[in-house]
Amino acid sequence: MSNKEINSFQDNIRRTFIWYSLIPVIAIVFTAILLFVCIWSIYTGAANKKDNLDIGTDISAILDNYYELVFNCEKAMLKSKDDVKASEDEFFRELYSHTEKYSSIGKLVILSPKREVLFSSEGSVPECLTEEEYDNWGVWNRMRSNPERTETILYEKNLYVARGIHKRSGLAYAIVYVVPTSVISDIIYKRNRYCAVTDANGWVYLNNTQGLTDEFGQINELFEGHNGIAKIGGVKYVSYESSIPAGLNIFTFSDINRNLSIMLIITAVIAVIFVAIIVITYRSTAKSSEIYTRDVKKIEKAFEAVQNGDLNVGLRIDSSKEFQTIGNDFNKMLGGLKTQIEQNKILAENVAFAQVKRLESQFNPHFLFNTLDNIRFMAKIDAAAADKMIVSLSGLLRYSIRETREEVTVREDLDNLQNYLNILQIRFNKRFEYNINVSEDIKDCLIPKLLVQPLLENSIKYGFGEKEKLTVNINGYQLQDKLIFVCEDDGVGIDAETLAGIKMQLIDLDTEHQHIGLYNIHQRIKLMYKGDYGLDITSKEGEGTVVRLVLPVRM
Amino acid sequence: MTMKRKIIAAAIFVFVVVIMMVIFFNIGYGQPDKDTAQEKLVVVSPHPAPFIIPLINEFESETGIKVKALQCGTSKALELIKSNADIDVLWGGSILSVGESEGAFLPYKTENIDSFYENFKDVGEGFTCFTDVPSVLMINTDLIGDIEVKGYEDLLNPRLKGKIAFADPSGSSSSFEHLTNMLYAMGNGNPEDGWDYVEKFSDQLNGVILQSSSEVYEGVSSGKFLVGLTFEEAALTMINQDKHIKIVYMEEGILSTPDGVYINKNTKHADSAKKFVDFMTAYNTQKYITAKLGRRSVRRDVEASVLVTPKEELNIVEADRDVVGSSKNKWLSRFSDMMGGANE
Repeated sequence: MSNKEINSFQDNIRRTFIWYSLIPVIAIVFTAILLFVCIWSIYTGAANKKDNLDIGTDISAILDNYYELVFNCEKAMLKSKDDVKASEDEFFRELYSHTEKYSSIGKLVILSPKREVLFSSEGSVPECLTEEEYDNWGVWNRMRSNPERTETILYEKNLYVARGIHKRSGLAYAIVYVVPTSVISDIIYKRNRYCAVTDANGWVYLNNTQGLTDEFGQINELFEGHNGIAKIGGVKYVSYESSIPAGLNIFTFSDINRNLSIMLIITAVIAVIFVAIIVITYRSTAKSSEIYTRDVKKIEKAFEAVQNGDLNVGLRIDSSKEFQTIGNDFNKMLGGLKTQIEQNKILAENVAFAQVKRLESQFNPHFLFNTLDNIRFMAKIDAAAADKMIVSLSGLLRYSIRETREEVTVREDLDNLQNYLNILQIRFNKRFEYNINVSEDIKDCLIPKLLVQPLLENSIKYGFGEKEKLTVNINGYQLQDKLIFVCEDDGVGIDAETLAGIKMQLIDLDTEHQHIGLYNIHQRIKLMYKGDYGLDITSKEGEGTVVRLVLPVRM
Repeated sequence: MTMKRKIIAAAIFVFVVVIMMVIFFNIGYGQPDKDTAQEKLVVVSPHPAPFIIPLINEFESETGIKVKALQCGTSKALELIKSNADIDVLWGGSILSVGESEGAFLPYKTENIDSFYENFKDVGEGFTCFTDVPSVLMINTDLIGDIEVKGYEDLLNPRLKGKIAFADPSGSSSSFEHLTNMLYAMGNGNPEDGWDYVEKFSDQLNGVILQSSSEVYEGVSSGKFLVGLTFEEAALTMINQDKHIKIVYMEEGILSTPDGVYINKNTKHADSAKKFVDFMTAYNTQKYITAKLGRRSVRRDVEASVLVTPKEELNIVEADRDVVGSSKNKWLSRFSDMMGGANE
């Protein structure tokens, strides 16, 4: 058995309501929200990454094209044996064929190691290619330190595809293509997304939004080498970084702030709704579960009433079939029970009546034998006394046999007792003395037949012992609504062991009956009158015995 | 539903939630990659951004070392270094104003030291001179009108009262430079004699004292002030940005102290920091700085820019570095008292 407190049916119904309908719905909704957030964030990340890689591929393709242009120019120079003037037509042909698909042609420049412009496809040349202090600085620095390699160089917001051609005597000339910004920015602006293109050190070449760079024009270091969610100035971005072979880094960003707050608001609203639903359900289930369990309560009450002895309850249920069946069956069962109890009562009364009759008819054979013996003896010495004894005995027998009523008046019983006393008086002569003191006002009360005689028998049986004389007092009176008879003698009394035996028998009505007389009275009172009535005996050795009868007052 | 089933269902639910959380947060929040962040050389500098950008850019592409630059005033930078912040190099700040903090820096002798002018060679173990920075006055040519400004004495003109841009010398090293310059130039070599002038000058400020040196040159360029006490490079930068500015070299005397590059002695990137110092003092860098950024080189082999008056033509005053170093706090509080605690 568990020690758990057993809940009421109503609470169980209520809990079932909440546990099996509300909680699963809440769980499912929040799981769905969670799932949505997850899928959304994965999608956002994936879309961002895809755009990033697309941009990288596009820019790579453009730069590859420019690399080829620079390479072809070198080939043209080789063909013309480094004669720039002779190669000019070839340069322009290459330039146009490589840039025709773009919005801008850009600028192709051939420079001597001394930064003199040997060829320029278009007027001015950026000063960082020509001025003296740039000799070992910026673009030139990179070309000198990376001989025979085409480099993509970001310098002062311009992108250069540059190649230094080295001969045996060192740097011979440099081919520089100035990438038109619009070509790359077209790629970025084509996509509806924050994007930044930087060189390997994070210097920004192009970007289409503010706030992602530091005050020096480098990409915010939070984005470097970190793909995922980054927070800059209170704004959250999903960022992705990739590198392309030309040495540029592409950063793409999704501003997720608005989406996050929308999701937060939706979640909060749903949470509020659910809290409201929980509160409402809790309240309403209190009422509905009460209604649904009203029949159960009725049944419970009916059972309680039956337990307390009220068999006159009935169940009237019309809310649901199941409970109606239970109610009808209960009513039927209770009806059956009532009939049963009635029958049992009649049966018990019959049994008691029979038993009382049997007890009444018991006539002490010892007494009869002793009396007859005395009559035989008296007939020889005192015929008149013998005659009186015979008359008294026959009166006793008649009363015992002929009187069919269970109850007689006190007066009748005392009249009959006189016969008995007559016999005793003749038997014991001066050794026996008695006083009967019964108040007149109870003489018409009804008592069981042959009530007092056994008390006298008892006194005689235990009282004489070795004693010369025995006095018995019988008192009868009314105390409140009870009729009391007390029979006291001054005999030798009953020893403690016997007395205990008698008392035992009076309590336990089923044991072997030795003290037939007292038991007989007690048993009859118990059978005839329900309640706190019966016989009580006290005795002290050497002082005498007191027997007390308590009966209801009946007229 | 039995108890066991309930537990299993709950376990599955929790498991799913946890998996989702893990997926979500894996994509999730991030700080910059610790490793890449630590590889960066952290340089703190009072130089203006247009000065910092091309040099850092070139340093990065030449050495492959990434730099994280932080802009802040000299005294704030010193505080950061002394409080053990993660800073590798202090780039900028005059030797005079950094002088007292020599112990905070790593002793290093750059490989370029042999090409330095003699007076820039031996300035202290932790110091490497970077450029020579004379103090100058800058005036807004559009607004100055007929007011003549040739030197410190002219600043006492009542018409300039409240129109002079001067930064708090306790925060800006260029302002402290000017204070020292005044004391030496107006005291005729004895700084104690210069306080008469400083008192009158502080009166001329009319209680206006700026928080940083950038407010000085920007304030004059924007016309908020007519005259500013600043350093040559800042004025040149403004001129290069086509602001209507003129440089005035004070006729009473010009203090020209070098600013430097200093390596934090607690740096975790000593090699990179040394490369940084070498790069900043290299011929190509100094040449670029002189030509493009308006500073005077510390190298003998780099010619001065055409934009600045040659040093030989200036009335140079010398300051005793030990006296300045030991008197710095005293002077600062004395000046602060004159300003009536307005800068407190």
